[in-house]
Amino acid sequence: MSSDTNGSGTGGRAPAILAEGLVKRYRDKVAVDDVSLRVDAGEVLGVLGTNGAGKTTTVEMIAGLRRPDRGSVRVLGLDPRRDRAKVCQVLGVQLQAAYLHGALTVAELLDLYRSFYPDPRPAAELLDLVGLEEQRRVRFEKLSGGQQQRVSIALAMVGRPRVVILDELTTGLDPLARRRMWATVERLRDEGVTIVLVSHAMEEVERLCDRVALLDAGRLVAVGPPGELTARAGADTLDDAFVALTGKQLEAAE
Amino acid sequence: MSTIATPVTVRRPGPRAWLTLVVCEAKMVARDTAGLVVPLGLPLLILLTSAHAAGDQEVVAGFSALEAYVLPLVLTMVMATIGVINMPSFLAYYRHSGILRRLAVTPASPAMVLVAQVIVSVLQTVLGLALALGVAFLGFGASPPAHPATAVGVYALAMAAMYAVGMIVAAVAPTPNSAVAIGLVGFFALGALGGMFGGPGSLPEPFAAVGERLPFGAAVQALAAAWVGAPVEPVHLISLGVTVVVGSVTAALLFRWG
Repeated sequence: MSSDTNGSGTGGRAPAILAEGLVKRYRDKVAVDDVSLRVDAGEVLGVLGTNGAGKTTTVEMIAGLRRPDRGSVRVLGLDPRRDRAKVCQVLGVQLQAAYLHGALTVAELLDLYRSFYPDPRPAAELLDLVGLEEQRRVRFEKLSGGQQQRVSIALAMVGRPRVVILDELTTGLDPLARRRMWATVERLRDEGVTIVLVSHAMEEVERLCDRVALLDAGRLVAVGPPGELTARAGADTLDDAFVALTGKQLEAAE
Repeated sequence: MSTIATPVTVRRPGPRAWLTLVVCEAKMVARDTAGLVVPLGLPLLILLTSAHAAGDQEVVAGFSALEAYVLPLVLTMVMATIGVINMPSFLAYYRHSGILRRLAVTPASPAMVLVAQVIVSVLQTVLGLALALGVAFLGFGASPPAHPATAVGVYALAMAAMYAVGMIVAAVAPTPNSAVAIGLVGFFALGALGGMFGGPGSLPEPFAAVGERLPFGAAVQALAAAWVGAPVEPVHLISLGVTVVVGSVTAALLFRWG
């Protein structure tokens, strides 16, 4: 299935992210198996899939953190590994499993990461975006899991990126914080930022994403706008469509 | 397939970023109070317990066992604990926790963190050195080195050798815990063979011979020679130099960021 044309309602717009034929193996296990994705500039793409479907591996290859065994990635026309210095100027990343300097306070971490970029967002704006004004003097290691995640999200936006990768944006956040993160993503979208959002929350995907890529066992099984995927699966909700589409894949494999 | 033709200019982090990073790394070290106890406290303890008796034993004309043995040992311990135990445990923690991975997707390189770490641990070493020398000079009337320039040179080379050993530890340790364990074992092994537990001559001859060719013993002997004005033996300088090369090469081959 070619995702270049599939389900993209944005016609002739140039892609901000273009991944072609990505393959990644860990020892004997194929984590990502021939995945191609196109994300247009200003688009929000949701990446859905069961645990172990290859979502994180895929976005980490896009971010240049993992070298694909096969296939290629372009972010704004740049190779994220070969042109690392350039890509890092325009890419913001929230990693699923990344810790920060534990003994530094929220404000110190923001200042540290702000110092890496030529035109960083003001610290006050970042604190406001993720709602951590009151925790600004608290050490990272003393924050709750959800608060740590919000720091990580703030850091993804420090450098005014043009492309943002968010790996499990709201996993572990309370409903209030979740809504705040959604508003933040909507604000980035309004600014024209291209966003890749790895998620398990269908409500989040339906609300924020222009299109959804559904991964199952390392393969791309469907791409399209959330409503279209639901209709294609003959389901009532995206949740049901998710089950139907990944379930079909399992049956086919048997 | 056309992609967006958008020129991206690379603006590498400037001096302000470097300074911020060094300050942040310094805060990390300063707030890790347990980590400061060994490099600053242990050498001071040894100095305080042995300086008085050592100060009365004249070993070479004008120099007592304090300058000929205790001070070189104490100063070597400062740099060895920081280089072989503390620095690798920080690096292993950064790698294990994903801090280096996170930094890899910013315009700052993980290498910047390494350099900042080294700067901060050099500052830490200088602090430990100042503390020990202050106590030795003011409290016990120790004499300054007969060859100050040689002593500084030897100290710098020995510090590089300790970092090199530390980089091997950081490269081979799979977890932060094992880095501390390997670092401690390495420190005590090198220290024991280098005369940390008892004066020169307290070890059986073969052990002493091996020990003075290892970086800890070599550092103590070379510093002692510089202090009392004796010629520094080439074997000690060669040992330290070889350690620097072997450590750097091993670390470069084996070190992983993520």
